[in-house]
Amino acid sequence: MRLTLSSVYRPYSFPTLLKSSSFSTLCRPFCSSALSSSPTCVKPQVPLFLRQPIYSTKLCELKKWHDWAKGVAFSIGSTFVDSDNGPDSSLLCRELKWLMEDAVEDHSMIVKDDDSDERVKMRVGIEELYCLWKQRVQERRPFQYVVGCEHWRDLVLSVQEGVLIPRPETELLVDFVDDVVSENEDLKRGVWADLGTGSGALAIGIGGVLGSEGRVIATDLSPVAVAVAAYNVQRYCFQDKIELREGSWFEPLKDMEGKLAGLVSNPPYIPSKDISGLQAEVGRHEPRVALDGGTDGMDALLHLCDGAALMLKPAGFFAFETNGEQQCRALVDYMENYRNGSFCNLEIRSDFAGILRFVIGFHQ
Amino acid sequence: MGFCSGSTTDDHESPHKTEKRSCGTLHFISARQIEKALTMRFHGNFIICRYLSRLRNQFNSNFEFPLPNFRHRAPFFLRSYSAEVPAQLSPELLNIMEQRLSAIEYRTSCLNNFLNQPEASPSEYARANKELRKLSGSVDLIKELRAKQKEIDGLKSLMAECSEDKDMLNMATEEMGQAVEEERKLQNLLLKSLLPKDDADERDCILEVRAGTGGEEASLFAMDIFRMYEKYALEKGWKFEVVDIAQSDHKGYKSTMHWNLLLARIEFHLATDVLWTILSQEASAAIAGDGVFRKLKFESGIHRVQRVPVTEKSGRIHTSAVSVAILPQADEVDVQLKNEDLRIDTYRSGGSGGQHANTTNSAVRVTHIPTGIMITIQDERSQHMNKAKALKVLCAKLYEMERLRLRSSRSKLRLEQIGSGDRSERIRTYNFPQGRVTDHRVGITYHSVDDVMQGENLDVFIDALLLQEEMDAMATFSSSQ
Repeated sequence: MRLTLSSVYRPYSFPTLLKSSSFSTLCRPFCSSALSSSPTCVKPQVPLFLRQPIYSTKLCELKKWHDWAKGVAFSIGSTFVDSDNGPDSSLLCRELKWLMEDAVEDHSMIVKDDDSDERVKMRVGIEELYCLWKQRVQERRPFQYVVGCEHWRDLVLSVQEGVLIPRPETELLVDFVDDVVSENEDLKRGVWADLGTGSGALAIGIGGVLGSEGRVIATDLSPVAVAVAAYNVQRYCFQDKIELREGSWFEPLKDMEGKLAGLVSNPPYIPSKDISGLQAEVGRHEPRVALDGGTDGMDALLHLCDGAALMLKPAGFFAFETNGEQQCRALVDYMENYRNGSFCNLEIRSDFAGILRFVIGFHQ
Repeated sequence: MGFCSGSTTDDHESPHKTEKRSCGTLHFISARQIEKALTMRFHGNFIICRYLSRLRNQFNSNFEFPLPNFRHRAPFFLRSYSAEVPAQLSPELLNIMEQRLSAIEYRTSCLNNFLNQPEASPSEYARANKELRKLSGSVDLIKELRAKQKEIDGLKSLMAECSEDKDMLNMATEEMGQAVEEERKLQNLLLKSLLPKDDADERDCILEVRAGTGGEEASLFAMDIFRMYEKYALEKGWKFEVVDIAQSDHKGYKSTMHWNLLLARIEFHLATDVLWTILSQEASAAIAGDGVFRKLKFESGIHRVQRVPVTEKSGRIHTSAVSVAILPQADEVDVQLKNEDLRIDTYRSGGSGGQHANTTNSAVRVTHIPTGIMITIQDERSQHMNKAKALKVLCAKLYEMERLRLRSSRSKLRLEQIGSGDRSERIRTYNFPQGRVTDHRVGITYHSVDDVMQGENLDVFIDALLLQEEMDAMATFSSSQ
């Protein structure tokens, strides 16, 4: 069955509308006003660990907050695990430690034993610390949104509401690219594309393994994602190497038909009917446009296959992340049967949890 | 220079003659150690006597001549040290080395003759060539030494012939001084090249601190020891990076209790007066810098503490123990790590993973299938970085296993020397009520336990251990003629 362009695009009109309405209830005023502005005015948030330590609080007050937060974390026990496979107490305590690391400028203060009136420089006020931890535990707001960043491979990427938090599984896609370009100088010097870049994780990761001549074009439909990705690209000084374009899938890449050396994507792949059952951190807070893959979760993936056949140059490489084994096999079937002659060396690879997660291959 | 201008001729015709020299000689490193001892603070005064007594005993057990009187000879040693003139080796050591050098020259000659014979088989040829290459470093130094000694002999003849010509005599004397100095340098270089070396000395290392007997007090002391090394590394300008690993007990994957949780549990225990014991806690760090492993390798072993634990209600002194392991770091080339020998597991969320789940659990477990070693790392905030750390620790462990295997095939004498690196060897006691720290291998006691715990003055023990390592190496050299 060959999908028409219009049928592929149709599912995204509804999620886009839903995204707008859902953000008005979930996001803080800053995000709402940012979204209502024109794309060029989207200003990304500064992650906590990069803010200036303009606040000051007594060490004993900080310890008082820490004890309170620890008690809250312990009281959770395995409640979240039992309800939707969320975090347990020990994981929350580790997050609390990391929150302290980001919030407190001088880390040696954290290990001080005395409950003194000594003052500690902070990047956030003590009142906001109470709010942040309440958000984390009571609203199940993702820890990465609480601190405004996610550690991914050897990067620290800014993330905020409206941007998908890069997943550990996705780290492997950069290894696949690294393996390929280390054996193929031509791909190393070529132009790569990261579709649905979100925070820019894959684009920046790939930018790090390409040679000095390699380039990456990162595209995303969401203006917020484009702004955040640009911020991350700038933080890693990859402005000359990575170009950001706003738009839907291959629309911003019309000038690159048949020229791409590589194509990577972590597209939305969750079946629509599964969205409501997602873990609270995901379903309540992360952008649905980056999660919802349509009826069987494969709308975007099939579209990527068609686009890859058109956009890649001969011997060009592609790698896509999927929902798991079923989607991987369906995707390979599609490429072998309906895109016969376009691709070769198709391969399905597992993530570290043993789930068949990735489809990789080459243009003929 | 005056005290160094004594006779430099070895009188081989009277091998049993015992000559009482006007001034004794000391190995180069010893002079430096004594200078360092002089700069110790007032609290260290006690150490000087114990330290020198130890040195004297060490010398007595290996050499005929006693250590010269310290207080009278110090100026000469200091001048020798500051002028960077290598100390003259003792006649006994020179004699032993001379025999070894002659043996090497003879062996080299035999190998060269063998290689010139056309009848040699290819395998014999390859083996001879390999041995010749192995000796070539020493052979080059020997040739230089022989040339220098010939020059010295020539200068002696010239000085004898021109005893009436003052200008010529002065010129010859000056050249003789330079030649003798260079001869001495070559002798020291040759001695070092003949002493067995530890390949790992220049490497970075992995520090592991594990609580042993003593329950929560041992865990608390383990933290204190861990922080002691962190402060020591900071003082040395080394990079100290917490690794915080846990080795699986083969019951499957489990979370490591992090130090903060440990602190939380201890606070909980103190608040609720509930008996609570941590069976085993381990903390690790990667330490990088100049010559890190050489400095720290003798820290491996059991560190005992005697103090009143914070959890003790009756004020009784407890004795607890902590084990420390210092592993030289290795890269994948050193240990030939292969992907097919590794299994990498990550925290399994139990669901579909990927976009379905948000998790900050970035724990990674690496299993080395041939040896069964499992290493779990979880303290980095990225799975990728945790994996990199786990591989780093795995390489260090595999390298250490190989080193221990090689070491067990060495001589019995070597095993009895300090620095076996055995993690179960009792090496040091920290006595808090009496405020002193004692190293059991070199018999040194330092009377400021707080300074030691702050990372200061660890060199009191480390330098003494390094000196003894060098003396042990020379003892081995002397006994294997």
